[in-house]
Amino acid sequence: MILEILSIGMIISACLALFLDEVVYSVAAFSGTFLFTALLYAVSGSVYAAIFQFAVGVGTLAILFLSGEMLSDKPVKKTSPEKLAALLGIGVVLSLPAIFLSVSSSGGTVSVSTASFGDALWSLNGLDVVLQALVILTVALGVAIILYERRRGVQ
Amino acid sequence: MDYVILSLVILAIGIYGLLTNRQLIKVFISIELIAIGATLNFVMLTTSLGQGLGQAYLILAFSTDTAVSAVILALLVIVSKRYGTSDISKIIKQIGEKPESEAESQ
Repeated sequence: MILEILSIGMIISACLALFLDEVVYSVAAFSGTFLFTALLYAVSGSVYAAIFQFAVGVGTLAILFLSGEMLSDKPVKKTSPEKLAALLGIGVVLSLPAIFLSVSSSGGTVSVSTASFGDALWSLNGLDVVLQALVILTVALGVAIILYERRRGVQ
Repeated sequence: MDYVILSLVILAIGIYGLLTNRQLIKVFISIELIAIGATLNFVMLTTSLGQGLGQAYLILAFSTDTAVSAVILALLVIVSKRYGTSDISKIIKQIGEKPESEAESQ
């Protein structure tokens, strides 16, 4: 039952995040999507995924609040109660298929080898993690160099 | 309760928002929703199979997603400062009104 409630909340907050008029309210609704996703992971047993989702969500939302407040055009029009009720209704309707329908595979059983989180991260994906860290470091250095060159060009 | 359908619905909402919204921040939120839908499908599928592999891939996906988000937000701020608005249709209109020589010099 709790999984259904979390999925309904997730879809409603996603709808509100996209279709509310005020950008800051959209970001606030989007924080609900992150929160419900993290709770869904935690309740279904993926504790590490829940922690990472929550940590990344907090960082993304902080940046989104700042940029949303900075970039939104003022003055803003308020969302009407009818539109809010319609968005809530659409969210509930969209969450019904996930609750009542199911996808069945006709290909028989899938043979998988169980691997713990630590094994999966370091024994199976250790090289991936190190290479991805290198890629992100290169991207960060590239952005820093571009910003430095632009600043020098302006001066 | 089927997580494949749940992630498909989230993915569809994100794609619809990406196609219909004109605000740059909301386009960014749509991209994040698409990423959430994809990772949700992956994590829940591998969790139901009793594996930790999905959570390990989630970390890789998050690091990529965060790097992409940083670049998108930087571009978004630059575009908004240059054109004075975050509305895509107004930005396109301003680009169309500029003379070709000025656009080429930029």
